[in-house]
Amino acid sequence: MTFHSFLRGALFLAAPACATTEALHTETSTAAIRSAEDLGAATVPQAALHLQLAQEEMKAAEALNAKGQEEEGKSLLLRAEADAELAVALSRADADREAAIVAMDRVHKLESENPYSPGGAP
Amino acid sequence: MTHPSFALLLLAGLVGCATTIPTELLSARRAYAEAAAGPAATLVPADLHRAKTAMSDAEAAFVDDPKGYHTRDLAYVAQRKAELAQALAASAAEDAQTATANAQYQTTQDAIMLDTKAKLGASQSDLASSQNTVARTQAELTASESARAAADAQAKSAMAALAKLAAVKEEARGLVITLSGSVLFASDQAALLPSAQTRLGSVATALLATKERPLVVEGHTDSQGSDAYNLDLSQRRAESVRQFLISQGYDGGKIRAVGIGEARPVADNANAEGRANNRRVEIIVSPPVASTP
Repeated sequence: MTFHSFLRGALFLAAPACATTEALHTETSTAAIRSAEDLGAATVPQAALHLQLAQEEMKAAEALNAKGQEEEGKSLLLRAEADAELAVALSRADADREAAIVAMDRVHKLESENPYSPGGAP
Repeated sequence: MTHPSFALLLLAGLVGCATTIPTELLSARRAYAEAAAGPAATLVPADLHRAKTAMSDAEAAFVDDPKGYHTRDLAYVAQRKAELAQALAASAAEDAQTATANAQYQTTQDAIMLDTKAKLGASQSDLASSQNTVARTQAELTASESARAAADAQAKSAMAALAKLAAVKEEARGLVITLSGSVLFASDQAALLPSAQTRLGSVATALLATKERPLVVEGHTDSQGSDAYNLDLSQRRAESVRQFLISQGYDGGKIRAVGIGEARPVADNANAEGRANNRRVEIIVSPPVASTP
């Protein structure tokens, strides 16, 4: 057996291993989706929409990957990551808005319940 | 806009003329333009820059493969990155508002505390002043009561001493001390008898215990002789007693001598005993003046 025929045989044997489906790296998307859920994205309308999109896109990416369309799956996963990231930001923005309202209400309440003379003397 | 970005857009435009631009890319361009014109540019410039980079990637992919799935996915991501920048800008603005409100809360609280302390200090000062006034008034009242009690005791003691020397009785006009004329004067005379001076001296000593009170010395006679003569004699006798009291230390300005004559008899002038009773000197001690509070 020549070296070339050996190499040809070895490549033939290795070919099925290369054809197996490569695992899709969903860690980033999964972590972002979990963060959005923890921040209560489901209760904030805009964030809930993007959370749902992220979940659907990740499933679709996994399905494409399972069918061997790995590049399409990987590309679609970018959408899932972007939507999950946006869901997190929208949840935080909503919480920040609530916090600002509470802080301003607290000031108004303090001022209305404690009339005082800024000059000091009554 | 940088030259490479402009060139990329121009190239994308040229490509667009030949092919249909994907909906995702059109949406991404709109979203990025909106984000770049909003507060994200100043509040979250790094996030806006990431959106810009994603936009460039999408545009480049569009040039390479206008209809490819990856172009549409990158455009979709670029749109989300632009929306993300806007959401983060909103968060930053809300955070700033919260920080301002918290600072205002602290400032207001400090001002209220200072104001309350000032008012409390003023109240405490007023209270201390009131307490001092009350204490002073009480001390004055106590001193006044003590002085009055001492004066009363002194007056009682003096009255008891007088009662041993002469007839003493309380009347509306004051304390009336009656001394018999026959004890003080010889008949038809206004000069005090030597023996009278001893008794009158004792009376004067008792009166000096209340020497702040005004005295009226009244001379009285019986009905024998003319009215005018009796009036004159009683005046002179009253004056003799006044002078004696002055000599014993009583303030002359507080003693008034009055001759009454025979005008106010206390007994019947028809008999010797009655006439003897009518010949008399009365010393009226004025009631104490009520002290003003």
